[in-house]
Amino acid sequence: MIWLIARREYRTRALSKASLISSAVMIVLIVAAALIIRPFMTEDGAGDGVLVEVDAATAPLIPYLEVAASQQGIALMVEEVDAGASPELAEGVAGVLTGDPAQPQLFVDSAEGPVPVVTASAVQAYVLDAEVSGLGGDPAQVSEALASATPTVTVLGDQQDIDPGALFAGFAVIFVLFVVLIQSASVIMMGVVEEKSSRVVEILLATVKPATLLGGKVLGVGLYALTQAAGMLVPALFAIWYLDLVAEFGIDVGSLLLNFAVWFVLGFAIFIVLFGGLASLVSRQEDLGAVTTPMMLTMMVPLYLAIYLVPNNPDGPITAALTQVPFFAPFLVPMRVAFGAIAPWEIALAVVIALVSIPVLTWLAGRVYAGAVLNTGGRMKIRDAVRRG
Amino acid sequence: MASLEISGLVKTYGDVRALDDVSFDVAAGELFGFVGANGAGKTTTMRIILGVLRADAGTVTWDGSPIDAATRSRIGYMPEERGLYPRMKVGEQLVYLARLHGLSRADAHAAMERWTEVLGVAERRADAVEKLSLGNQQRVQLASALVHGPEILVLDEPFSGLDPVAVGVMSEVLRTEAARGVPVIFSSHQLELVERLCDRVGIVRAGRLVASGAVADLTATERPRWLIEGDLPRGWDPGLAGVTVAHEADRVTIEAESPQRAPEILAAAVNVGQVRAFTPLRSTLTELFEDVVSEHEEAAA
Repeated sequence: MIWLIARREYRTRALSKASLISSAVMIVLIVAAALIIRPFMTEDGAGDGVLVEVDAATAPLIPYLEVAASQQGIALMVEEVDAGASPELAEGVAGVLTGDPAQPQLFVDSAEGPVPVVTASAVQAYVLDAEVSGLGGDPAQVSEALASATPTVTVLGDQQDIDPGALFAGFAVIFVLFVVLIQSASVIMMGVVEEKSSRVVEILLATVKPATLLGGKVLGVGLYALTQAAGMLVPALFAIWYLDLVAEFGIDVGSLLLNFAVWFVLGFAIFIVLFGGLASLVSRQEDLGAVTTPMMLTMMVPLYLAIYLVPNNPDGPITAALTQVPFFAPFLVPMRVAFGAIAPWEIALAVVIALVSIPVLTWLAGRVYAGAVLNTGGRMKIRDAVRRG
Repeated sequence: MASLEISGLVKTYGDVRALDDVSFDVAAGELFGFVGANGAGKTTTMRIILGVLRADAGTVTWDGSPIDAATRSRIGYMPEERGLYPRMKVGEQLVYLARLHGLSRADAHAAMERWTEVLGVAERRADAVEKLSLGNQQRVQLASALVHGPEILVLDEPFSGLDPVAVGVMSEVLRTEAARGVPVIFSSHQLELVERLCDRVGIVRAGRLVASGAVADLTATERPRWLIEGDLPRGWDPGLAGVTVAHEADRVTIEAESPQRAPEILAAAVNVGQVRAFTPLRSTLTELFEDVVSEHEEAAA
């Protein structure tokens, strides 16, 4: 029976034109964004590769230019040319070097950019090598000694920089959860109120238990939301792969996605069951806001805690304690996973607590629903609804 | 024979006693009319029968055992406040409701086709309910109460808002269902219709069942009365012992202590003038209803 209800709910949502169109648009947008961004990203990469033309007379400088460029993390391409006395900058060429390698002339179109800096250190190294050789020393030994002559840096105090990759990935995950929850919450609440205001609920309740009816609706809307999320996730994964973003984040994408999947389902059950029960307190769509606005605002709390508390204090005692509260866990756990700051036993405990609290919440929401669903007119108080249910 | 027994129902909302010891029974195959002013407790009683509401006290049994979920799914119910999914198609909706009551997909489909046919909405199967006229929505509503082949029918004002043709169709359906052995309870404000259709009626007032029984028994007057139509002398009186006369235009009403007096009264009338009609008078359900309600109002005052 619960499946019949879930199936109707699912079909009603999934086959509506509006949802088909919006899903299609989202998928197209994500894929298109990836396709559009990619050329820019590769062009940026090519932009790092600076082309410098070196006159044949200045050619001994070329190895030094390459070493200097790689030390400074600049992709430098060098081309040996016959530049002549008054060279011109061809299209795509950042600079031209002529004259004596120890005192070359650099032609550039702007003093900004990496070329003058790289050239300067290349020339210094060239001259240093020449001088060391002139004094009878071994240039290779000298450069080795120079390379190891760097201080060891230790940062004092506990002021740590927030890892932007982890923050971004964690935020992306809980934000998707938040958006899907808000969307599904409004779907289920409108569904409950639609049944109430069209009075069809009385026919249904004559043969279906209130908790079954509510459960079926949550299941149907939940499966629909999952389909929708999967519909987004596939193009999103395509985008991540296509743009090669995994390497850039440097986080454990696999465990983050796993936690996303688990907490999506758990968070969904926790919040949507409650929303369904609360929606039954009102009789008309217009009155829905009175119940939902406080609920929506309440949902912002775990979202903001996850965004502000976790990055600054990923494994502090407050964070750890809140992680075990069912309403916070769906947001806090994925965020802490993104920061790699949560022990496996903490995740396991949070999952168990959530699993235990879901039937309790369902029972409570079912009572509210049963007590309020036949009440017409104004808004009902929760306590009255529970007593009647 | 199986019967639906309602005994001692009590329901209180805050300080308001919505039902106060309501008891009656409906045998299989019987049409039971439930009448009463708005707010008298008809809807509350029906909701309790369906288990949609819980009674504070009292029981509802079918065939001797309390109504459980299995029995409940074999009741056909039409709530006072009509309700169907407005944007769902007529056919899909009926199949869905039939399946919620436990029918297989094929059976549900066949039942949907049959009832849309019988109730004259077969052409609208593919339309959303909200696109239908109110009268047709009402027919779909009845179809939703019947589509799972119920063993018991509980219909809250099935006739309200129907045109005369639809009233005819609806009455016929209720008769057929009763003839099939289904106990049918329905409430209505159309007392003439209830009188014509029902085997028995119950009258509720302020949460109490103030009269119930066969229509003929309830409407029979203590002393038999007859109506004479014809050309009788003004102020005519048969002059028989124990017989009283009332004149009203050219209608003459006679009252006597026993039905056996009819022949002598008629003979006396024929003697003095022309008699076009001589008919026994019963009070109508409407009169009975007014009597019962006003009696109690006086008692309350």
